[in-house]
Amino acid sequence: MTSADIVSCTDLVRRYGEGEAAVNALAGVTVGFTKGEYAAIMGPSGSGKSTLMHCLAGLDRPTAGSVVVDGVEIASLDDKSLTTLRRDKIGFIFQSFNLLPVLSAEENILLPLSIAGRKPDQEWYDRLVDTIGLRDRLSHRPSQLSGGQQQRVAVARALVSRPAVVFADEPTGNLDSKASAEVLQMLRQAVDDLGQTVIMVTHDHEAADVADRTVVLTDGLIVEDRRTTVAVA
Amino acid sequence: MLKLSLRGFGARKVRLGLTLLAVALGVALISGTYVLTDTINKSFDNIFATAAKGTDVSVTPKDAVVEGNGADTATTIPAAFLSKVQAVPGVSKAVGTVGTSNVALFTSANKRIGGGGAPTQVISATPKPFDVISYTDGRAPTGDNEVALLASTAKDKHIKVGDDVSIVGNGPRQTLKVVGLGKFGGVSNVGGFVAVIVTLPEAQRLAGVKDAYDEILVAGKPGVTPPELRSQVQSIAPSTVNVRTGQQQADENASDIHDALGFLTTALLAFGGIALFVGAFIIFNTFSITVAQRMREFALLRTLGASRRQVMMQVIFEGLVIGVAGSVIGLLLGVVLAKGLRALFKLFGADLPSQGTIIETRTIVVSLLVGTIVTLLSGLAPAYRATKVPPVAALREGAVLPPGRNARFVTPGGIVLTALGAAGIALGLFGGGSVALVGLGALLVFLGIALLSPKLVPPLASFIGAPMPGIVGRLARENATRQAGRTAVTASALMIGVTLVAFVSIFAQGLKATIDDAVDTAAKPGTLIIENTAGGSPLPAQVAPGIKAAVPGVRTVAPISFSTSKVAGVAGKTSVSGIPANISQVFDTQWKQGNDATFASLGATGAVVTKKFADAQHLKVGSKLSVLTPTGKRLSLTVRGIADDNSGLLADLSVSHDLATTAFGKTGDALIFAGVPPAQEQAVKAQLDAKLKQFYPIAEAKTIQQFKDQQATQINGLLVLIYVLLLLAVVISLFGIVNTLVLSIYERTRELGMLRAIGTSRRQVKRMIRYESIITAVIGAVIGVVLGIVFALAVAQALSSDGFKLSIPIVQLVILLVLGALAGVLAAILPARRAARLNVLEALAYE
Repeated sequence: MTSADIVSCTDLVRRYGEGEAAVNALAGVTVGFTKGEYAAIMGPSGSGKSTLMHCLAGLDRPTAGSVVVDGVEIASLDDKSLTTLRRDKIGFIFQSFNLLPVLSAEENILLPLSIAGRKPDQEWYDRLVDTIGLRDRLSHRPSQLSGGQQQRVAVARALVSRPAVVFADEPTGNLDSKASAEVLQMLRQAVDDLGQTVIMVTHDHEAADVADRTVVLTDGLIVEDRRTTVAVA
Repeated sequence: MLKLSLRGFGARKVRLGLTLLAVALGVALISGTYVLTDTINKSFDNIFATAAKGTDVSVTPKDAVVEGNGADTATTIPAAFLSKVQAVPGVSKAVGTVGTSNVALFTSANKRIGGGGAPTQVISATPKPFDVISYTDGRAPTGDNEVALLASTAKDKHIKVGDDVSIVGNGPRQTLKVVGLGKFGGVSNVGGFVAVIVTLPEAQRLAGVKDAYDEILVAGKPGVTPPELRSQVQSIAPSTVNVRTGQQQADENASDIHDALGFLTTALLAFGGIALFVGAFIIFNTFSITVAQRMREFALLRTLGASRRQVMMQVIFEGLVIGVAGSVIGLLLGVVLAKGLRALFKLFGADLPSQGTIIETRTIVVSLLVGTIVTLLSGLAPAYRATKVPPVAALREGAVLPPGRNARFVTPGGIVLTALGAAGIALGLFGGGSVALVGLGALLVFLGIALLSPKLVPPLASFIGAPMPGIVGRLARENATRQAGRTAVTASALMIGVTLVAFVSIFAQGLKATIDDAVDTAAKPGTLIIENTAGGSPLPAQVAPGIKAAVPGVRTVAPISFSTSKVAGVAGKTSVSGIPANISQVFDTQWKQGNDATFASLGATGAVVTKKFADAQHLKVGSKLSVLTPTGKRLSLTVRGIADDNSGLLADLSVSHDLATTAFGKTGDALIFAGVPPAQEQAVKAQLDAKLKQFYPIAEAKTIQQFKDQQATQINGLLVLIYVLLLLAVVISLFGIVNTLVLSIYERTRELGMLRAIGTSRRQVKRMIRYESIITAVIGAVIGVVLGIVFALAVAQALSSDGFKLSIPIVQLVILLVLGALAGVLAAILPARRAARLNVLEALAYE
């Protein structure tokens, strides 16, 4: 962990329940991710990988320890500040896409900016749309898109506000292998071509193989942290 | 899994509570109405029965034609008849009594006692065993210039035994000493009415009657039963009196009250019905939404082998439980509500006695049955839809309930129902049908519009939501139209209340405009209107000549009296007005045939009829009428003129004021017109006020403007009362909005989780829910206002022949729309808070 880290945590503990029944989902995790990194967090069910992501993303509150996102200690922030942090600094990609069915693909992509009341950067938006390759589908509603297309819209949505970091929670979990490959490739492009940082929770080894780095959790502790051999440009 | 069911329970708790309330509130108004009116009826029964305890037989005057509820009789009992009664073998004691309400009572400080809604009534003191009054302090008046009062009156005005009060009746003002305080019929306060108990000669003097009685009270010798005594007295009685046992007379007295309350009961029940009808929408919507949400549960049941019938029975059973539980809660709430209603009426000047709480079996049966049946009926369609869930839906995530096979009939059905309803209203209004038909028509129109409104929701939502800014506004608009049917039913519930409020507002405005117009057309400038301060009661006959003599500035005095009659060949009673010869100096008659000189030439044989009456009875000038008067005289009258009157002054049949006095037995005037030079109106009115205050304090003079204002005030008072009663229906429809929002939020949990995760603030989430609520509410308000205007147009058209002037209160209608939006804000408070408090992680994990 260094000061160059865009996201980091130190001695992170997340305990659920009280007394005897208490479970340490995270039992003291210290890890940092640098800007421009494409990292995969892996581990078996119940290993704490999702909890780690939730704590790093400001969705869950740590029981102890510190979390720093883009230079801001977020463990002590109130809901309002956390919301603003998520809005401005963090992008999300969910397993079940979570697009709003009432909005068109374009509106879904622009949603984070709309919420913030900001105008999109047209050049950036055009690059994103070209990257996901859905320019001819922008006016479609999610129900008119395939699963892979929906997830590509979700990827664009996560990137539209140029967040400090994008968290992806099992982004290929609901996709067939072809669509999975496309989405993973797109995340790869986001890091390589667009200079974004992506942290992805997955138990899909193929997904992890695309990443630069794989962090493996078991019983709330990091048991492995390795650089993937794939050459990074 | 546990967390999930707990969350489900959380949503169900609100849903269950609000659905129960939707049933309960409507039922409460029904049970409350019964409890209130039963209690009041019973209280009056007791009061009259207690007052008549010592009276075995009562003799009262009998009019040949009875004018109506509570009106003074035209005939009295000649004093000579009393001695005849006393000579009847079975009679141990008989006394005459005299009463009058044409008096004004003042404290020693010259402050008016009573004079509001409840009457001031002079009662002549009666010896044992006839004591109507039981004294709690002091004694009965024995000498002239002595008086006893009700303890409640004394308490209100801080009067003690030994104090002086003054009274003005027929004759000059005089001072009376309070010698006793008591209860009437065992009750210290009878609806705020002021009883003035004086000796018989004093009462006769105040009433201006000589050698006559209003009632003869008879007690029998030991061993003579009241019915026996009644036959004995009946055998010597002339045809102009009624002879009844004490109990019969008490029942007769109470029956007037029962009749008056019967109207109140019907009116209140109608409001209860409206509230239940609105509640039915809520129940229907809640069941529909829950059936949709529990689709997987039903599908699972089907997969496990449950039949369609079993699934349907499960939903129906839930309806039954909610219906019964809601009805029971409503029944109990009604008991509380009865007290609230009583307080409400007291606020509007009707302080009704009510002792204890009477809950009749009928109240329980009707409340439970109506509430349960309405709930079951509303749940029937959703229950049927639940059976359409295919078992495979259990396995498919996000499966949507197939649109019912009957979905395509919704819009045509709405058109048919609306058309049928409109036809019903038209038939009721123009075809001589009934109010019930109009009500049924309105009901059908409401249902029809509710079925049509899913088509109206999208355009209205985008219009109403247009000013709502940003993505939050956009999402609110989309969410409102996402399930257009659901939004439509929710809005329709509010629509019903708003329609009625809008209609009543427009109608009242029209009524005021109509009265203004009629009065302006009919009354000549410089006309003052003199009426009893207590409202409808007549003024003593000597007031009119008294004014003429006392106030020189008054050029014309034209007293008007009202009576009733039976005209040969005409069904029912025919109203009669006594019109003086000089009426044309103060009042413009709209003659169809005849002229201003006609009234002056009526004499003892002429009559003027209204155009309406003439049309209905095919009368022409020259037609002969055989008229029976209340005093039993049969007159042969000739139609001399036909007049159109929108002011309501002229009754169907108008005779000369003198004839009304001599042949109809009218001793008082309903109102008196005083013509003064318009330029000196204020000055003469001031003189007149001073004289009236001195000699006839029960009368007050109003300028035409004041008269119109007073009419408007009365209409406004009634309007407020109706608003309060309609408020219940509106509140129920707000529950509907809350319910729908809560259920929709529950359905959209994951979307809300995502929105929060990507940076939507709690405040934005709240705003989104609030906007959606406002859109729903304003859709209801807009359709309601439009429908209200349409209904008002129809009624105005039907009444146009009576001179009804439609006047649309634009400002009030705009206010109504704004209130609709505010209602939306109110309804959104709880759901918005729930949505904002959602735990993001749990919401995201939510299936």
